[in-house]
Amino acid sequence: MPSFSDALKSQVGRKILTGVTGVGLIVFIIFHLATNLQVFGDAHAFNEAAHALESMGWLLYILEAGLAVAFLLHAYVGISIWWNRRQARPEGYEKYQSKGGPSHMSWASKSMIFTGIVLLVFLVIHIDTFKFGATEMVTLPGGEQARDLKGLMIDTFQQPLWAFGYTAVMILLGFHLGHGFWSAFTSLTMKHNKYSALIYTVGVIFAVLMAVGFLFIPLYIYFGGGCEAALIQCQ
Amino acid sequence: MNLDSKVPSGPLEEKWSKHLNDIKLVAPNNKRKHDVIVVGTGLAGGSAAASLAELGYNVKSFCIQDSARRAHSIAAQGGINAAKNYPNDGDTIWRLFYDTIKGGDYRSRESNTYRLAEISNEIIDQAVAQGVPFAREYGGLLANRSFGGAQVSRTFYARGQTGQQLLLGAYQAMMRQVSEGNIEMHTRHEMLDLVVIDGKARGIVTRDLVSGEIQRWMADAVVLASGGYGNAFYLSTNAKNSNVTAAWRCHKRGAAFANPCYVQIHPTCIPVSGDYQSKLTLMSESLRNDGRVWVPKDKDDDRHPNDIPDEERYYYLEEKYPAFGNLVPRDVASRNAKIVCDEGMGVGPTGRAVYLDFRDAIEREGKKAISDKYGNLFEMYENITDDNPYEEPMRIFPAVHYTMGGLWVDYNLQSNIPGLFVAGEANFSDHGANRLGASALMQGLSDGYFIIPYTIGNYIAGTDLDEVSKDHEAFDEAADNAQSQIDKLFEVDGDKSVIEFHRELGQIMWDKVGISRSEEGLKEAISEIQDLREEFWNNVRVPGESSNYNKYLEFAGRVADFLELGELMAKDALHRDESCGCHLRAEHQTEEGEALRNDEEYSYVAAWEFQGVNGELQEELHKEDLEFDFVELKQRSYK
Amino acid sequence: MADTFTVHLKIWRQDGPDQPGKLVDYTLDKVNEHMSFLEMLDVLNEEIVAEGKEEPIEFDYDCREGICGSCNLVINGQAHGPKDMTCTCQLHMRNFSDGDTIVIEPFRAKAFPVIKDLVVDRSAFDRIIEAGGYVSVKTGSAPDANSIPIDKTVADTAFDYATCIGCGACVAACPNSSASLFTGAKLAHLNRLPQGEPERKKRTVAMVEQMDEEGFGDCSNYAECEAVCPKGISISAIAEMRRNYVKATLAGTEA
Ligand SMILES: Cc1cc2nc3c(=O)[nH]c(=O)nc-3n(C[C@H](O)[C@H](O)[C@H](O)COP(=O)(O)OP(=O)(O)OC[C@H]3O[C@@H](n4cnc5c(N)ncnc54)[C@H](O)[C@@H]3O)c2cc1C
Ligand code: HEM
Ligand code: HEM
Ligand code: SF4
Ligand code: F3S
Ligand code: FES
Repeated sequence: MPSFSDALKSQVGRKILTGVTGVGLIVFIIFHLATNLQVFGDAHAFNEAAHALESMGWLLYILEAGLAVAFLLHAYVGISIWWNRRQARPEGYEKYQSKGGPSHMSWASKSMIFTGIVLLVFLVIHIDTFKFGATEMVTLPGGEQARDLKGLMIDTFQQPLWAFGYTAVMILLGFHLGHGFWSAFTSLTMKHNKYSALIYTVGVIFAVLMAVGFLFIPLYIYFGGGCEAALIQCQ
Repeated sequence: MNLDSKVPSGPLEEKWSKHLNDIKLVAPNNKRKHDVIVVGTGLAGGSAAASLAELGYNVKSFCIQDSARRAHSIAAQGGINAAKNYPNDGDTIWRLFYDTIKGGDYRSRESNTYRLAEISNEIIDQAVAQGVPFAREYGGLLANRSFGGAQVSRTFYARGQTGQQLLLGAYQAMMRQVSEGNIEMHTRHEMLDLVVIDGKARGIVTRDLVSGEIQRWMADAVVLASGGYGNAFYLSTNAKNSNVTAAWRCHKRGAAFANPCYVQIHPTCIPVSGDYQSKLTLMSESLRNDGRVWVPKDKDDDRHPNDIPDEERYYYLEEKYPAFGNLVPRDVASRNAKIVCDEGMGVGPTGRAVYLDFRDAIEREGKKAISDKYGNLFEMYENITDDNPYEEPMRIFPAVHYTMGGLWVDYNLQSNIPGLFVAGEANFSDHGANRLGASALMQGLSDGYFIIPYTIGNYIAGTDLDEVSKDHEAFDEAADNAQSQIDKLFEVDGDKSVIEFHRELGQIMWDKVGISRSEEGLKEAISEIQDLREEFWNNVRVPGESSNYNKYLEFAGRVADFLELGELMAKDALHRDESCGCHLRAEHQTEEGEALRNDEEYSYVAAWEFQGVNGELQEELHKEDLEFDFVELKQRSYK
Repeated sequence: MADTFTVHLKIWRQDGPDQPGKLVDYTLDKVNEHMSFLEMLDVLNEEIVAEGKEEPIEFDYDCREGICGSCNLVINGQAHGPKDMTCTCQLHMRNFSDGDTIVIEPFRAKAFPVIKDLVVDRSAFDRIIEAGGYVSVKTGSAPDANSIPIDKTVADTAFDYATCIGCGACVAACPNSSASLFTGAKLAHLNRLPQGEPERKKRTVAMVEQMDEEGFGDCSNYAECEAVCPKGISISAIAEMRRNYVKATLAGTEA
C-alpha cells in the first residue's frame, strides 16, 4: 500500500484533495456570505460580527491558517491538474466537440483554471483591501473599540472600479462553483446514478445563490443603498 | 505420413483420466528452462498461454491485433455449453457428448468429443472464479438457456457478449502472467512461417506489423491457436483479421490439413446490403428461441411483411421439422433458407433473405420480456439496417461462420509435426462435420486451459530437445521465405487491388463451395481459383512499403494463402462424395433434402499433405479412420 | 437501393510516430447511406490504391461489429463520431448528409502515440490491466461455479462495467486525457464481485498507480468520457475507484 503522502500525490489522491479543499472553501464562503450579509442589518451588526471573529484570538489564527492551507493546496492542486493535462495531450485536436448527453462539459467546467486563477488574484487584492486595509476605529454598542470594516466596505464599493470589478469576480465565482459543487461530490466518491442529476442541479442553484448573494453587496452599496442602511458617515 | 491418433485404450469415461495418469511430467524447476510459443490470444491461445505460464514455462505469445484482448473470440455472442445440469433437465456428460457427436454427423473422434464434454464443467468453474459475470437467476445462481440442436438448457451466457466476457477472463489471466514475467507478449506480430528442425517444431518467424521487421523466435514447442479460416469466403462473420496464414504456412511445412471442406454457415446473419460490404454480422442464434422463420408463400408477394396474413406465410422450419421447429441445427436452418430463396420466395431488395419474426413472442411475453432477452441484438440490428425489429420482422440470411476443418491433431492436440500443437478453431478436432452452437467457446477453452498444458509437458518430458540457435539454416530459410514472399508481392506491381481478388475468391467459394456443392460446381471452382491465383501473382497491386505499418500488405499475404486453401477446400469437398453435416453434396440428399452420409466409404478424417503448387495445388490425401465403439451411427433427423 | 451522395473528408495523415502530421482533403462521391463509416474509408482507400499516387489511409479495425474495441477515430471532434453508444465501425453513413465535411483524426494522448495515420498504440491499457486487472486464480483450482451465489443485481452491475471494450475513446474525448473511466470500469467490475474481493485494495492501488505512470491526465469529472463510451459506462465507476482507493490507503499496509 502506498504511504499517505504518496497516495496524495497520485492522480486519485490529488483529486480527493481538490474535493476536500473545495468543500472546505464552500463551507467558508457560506459563512463568509452570512457575515457579509450583516451589512444589511442594523448599523453595528456587521462590525460586531467581524469584531466577534477577531476576538476569537488563537482560535481564529487556527481557522485562518487552516483556510490559508486549504486555499493554497486547492490552488496548487488545481493548477497542477491543469499542467498535467497539457502534458497528457501534447498535440491537440484540430476539431473538438462535446458529445452532450451525460457530459458535464460546459463553459463552467472548461474554465475552472481561468476562474480559479482570477479568484486567486482576487483574493490577494481582497485580503489586502479588507483584512489589512486601514480603517477607522468605531465604538460598538457594547463599548469595545473595533475596526470600522463597514465603513471601509462602503468607501471601497462607492468607487465604480471596485464595485464592478467585484461583481465580475463574483460572477466568475458562480461559474467556478457551478461545476465545482457537483464535481467535489463526485471527487469525494459521492456519485450515484440516481442522485447525480439532483446534486448537479442543487450545485447550480447554490452557485447562483452565492454569486448573487455576494455581488449584491458591492452593487447595492454603489447604487447608494449602503448609506441609508449604514447611518454612519456617508459622503 | 503418420496419423496415429494416440487415443488411449479403455472405456470412454476413463480415457482422459487414465491418460492424465500416464502422462510424463516436467519437474517444476525445469519448466523455467523451456520456452513455449503460443500463436494467437483468442480463447484457445489466451487460456493456453496463461495456464502454461502459470505452470512455469516461459511463454512467448503473439497476436495480430494491438492487444491480446481483441482476438476474434471477443465477438462470440450466444454462450458456452457445459453439462452442469443446473436446471435439472436431465443433462449429463454423456448427453452433451452424444449431442456433439450427432450434431457433427458422426465425423469426429469419439474420444476427443467425450473429453470435451467431460471438461466442459471445469471451464464454467474456472470462468466464474475469474469473475466472468455470467447471467444469474434471482436466487443468485447461474442461469442457463437452450441453444440450437439441444433439447436441454445447458448454455451459460453473459447477455449477448459471452465470448467477450470469457476472453477477457483469459486475457486477464494472461496479463497476470505478463506482470509476473512468465509471458512475453508480442502484439501486432504476424506469424509467417514455422521453423522445423530435425523434424520437430522449434520456432516461428514473424513480421512486426509496425516496423515491418522479420523476426525469429525459438522454442521447445509451438502452440498454434490462430483461429478459423472462414474468411476464405471474403464475406463471413469472422473479424477482418481472421486468416489462415499461420495454419497454412504450417501445412506447407508438413502439417496435415484435415477436413478443409467442413464449413459452417450460420443461418441468422444480417443480409448483404451492397458491394461495399466488408463483413457480415451475426445475429445470435438464441434469437431462434423466440423468433419464427418464414417467407411469403407467394413468390411475388411484395406486401409489407406485417400485412401478410398467417395463412399466406410459409413457416418452413416449423412445417418441415415439427419436433425442433425453428431450433433445428445450423446447417439444416441455413440450407432451408437457401432452398426457399432459390425457389424465389426470398425477401428484401436482393431476394436473398428470409424473415425472422418476433410478433408472436412479443404478443405472448410482452415487449419488455423480449427486450430483456435480446435488447442489445435488436439495437444492433436496427443500427445496421435502420429497421425496427420490434415492429417488423428481421431479415436474415445465412453466412459463413465457423470452420470445423483445420490442422490435423492427435488426442494430445499435437499435429503430425512433433512439437507443433494446435488448439481452438485452428485444429479440426471435436466438431466433426458440423459444430453445435455454444460449443466452440467450450472447445477453445478446454484445449487451452485443460488439455494443452498437460500434453505439452508430456511431449517436453519425453523428447530430446537439442540446443538450437536462431542462426540455424532452418531459421534462415524460413526468414528468407517470409521476406521473399513479401518482396514478390511488391514486385508484381499490377493494377488490381488485393480486396478485389479476395472478393472474387469469396464469390467463387460462396457459389460453388458454399451451402450446397456439386461435382460440376466444385470442378469449376477449382479451375477458377487456379486462374484467379495465377492472375493474382501477375496483377496484384500492393501499395506502400514493407518497412512500415501496411494493412494492404498484410492482407495480400493472407489472400495469397486463401487462394491456395480455397482450392484445397474445393478438392476436399469434391473428393468427399457423400453429404455429412454442413457438407452437402447436391448428389447425396435424402428426399427431405437432408445430408445423406455414406459411412461405408467416408467414415474417416481426410488429412491432406502439401506437395507443392505449380499452377495446380498438389496435395496427397491420407485417411484416419473413425471408429465408433460407443455410439451407434444413425441418420440424423430433427423431425 | 439508396442514392449515393458526396462527402468531403479532412483526414489526418502522419507517416510515423515522430513525423509531423496534417489534415489532407479528400472528396468521395460514392457514399451510400447503408455503408458503415469504415466501409466508406475502404472505398476511399480503394480509390487511392487505384490512383497509385499515395499510400492508403491506415486505420485500426477488426471485428467491425462493435465489440473488439479496435476501431478508434475521432470524427468531427467526437470520439467514435456523432451517434451515442456506437463504435466507429457501427456508425453508418446515414448519419451524414450530402455535401458534409467530415474531419477525421486519431485518438490523441501522450499515452497513445500515433503509429501511422489514424492508428495509435494503446498498449498502456494492457499495462494497466497487467498491474492488477484480474483475479488471481490458478487454472483448475476453482470451486464449483454455483458454490458462491451472487445477488443478481450485483452480477448485472458487474456485467455493465465488464462490457468495456478497451477502445480508449474515454481517453480521446477527455479534455485531460484521463484513463479513469477505463480503469474505473475494470475495478468496478472486479471489486464488487466476491471473487474479486480479496485483491480489491491491492488491485485498486496498483491500477491507479499504473495509470499515473503511463502519463494519462487527472480526472476533473467532465463526464465527456461517459458521453462517448460506446458501452455507456457510467462515471460512477470513477467515483467508486476513488472510494476504494481511499479505503485502501487508509487501511495502510495490509494488502
Ligand atoms: C460472430 C461470432 C459469434 C460466435 N458465437 C459463438 C458462440 O456463441 N458460442 C460459441 O461457442 N462459439 C461462437 N463462435 C465461434 C467462436 O467464437 C470461435 O470459434 C472461437 O472464438 C475461436 O477461438 P480461437 O481461440 O480458436 O481463435 P480466435 O479467437 O480467432 O483467435 C485467433 C488468434 O490468433 C491470432 N492470429 C491469427 N493468425 C495469426 C498469425 N498469423 N500470427 C499471429 N497471430 C495470429 C489472432 O490475432 C488471434 O489472437 C462465434 C463466432 C463468431 C464469428
Ligand atoms: C484560490 C484560487 C482557486 C484556484 C486556482 C482554483 C482552481 C480550481 C481548479 C483548477 C479546479 C478544477 C480541478 C480539476 O480540474 O479537477 C477547482 C475545483 C474546485 N474549486 Fe477551485 N480554485 C480556487 C478557488 C476556489 C474557491 C474560492 C472555491 C470555493 C469557494 C473553490 C471551489 C472549488 C470546488 C468545489 C472545486 C471542485 C473540486 C473537485 O472537482 O473535486 N475553488 N478549483
Ligand atoms: C462582495 C463580496 C465580499 C465582501 C464584501 C467581502 C468582505 C470581506 C471583509 C470585510 C473581510 C475582512 C474580514 C476581517 O478582517 O475580519 C474579508 C476577508 C476575507 N474574505 Fe471576503 N468578502 C467578499 C468576498 C469574498 C470571496 C468571494 C472570497 C473567497 C473566494 C473571500 C475571501 C475572504 C478571505 C479569505 C478573507 C480573510 C479572512 C480571514 O483571514 O479572516 N471574500 N472579506
Ligand atoms: S470505458 Fe468505454 S470508452 Fe473507455 S475504453 Fe471502455 S468502452 Fe472504450
Ligand atoms: S471526461 Fe475526463 S475528466 Fe474524468 S469524468 Fe471523464 S475522465
Ligand atoms: S472494429 Fe471492433 S469494435 Fe469497431
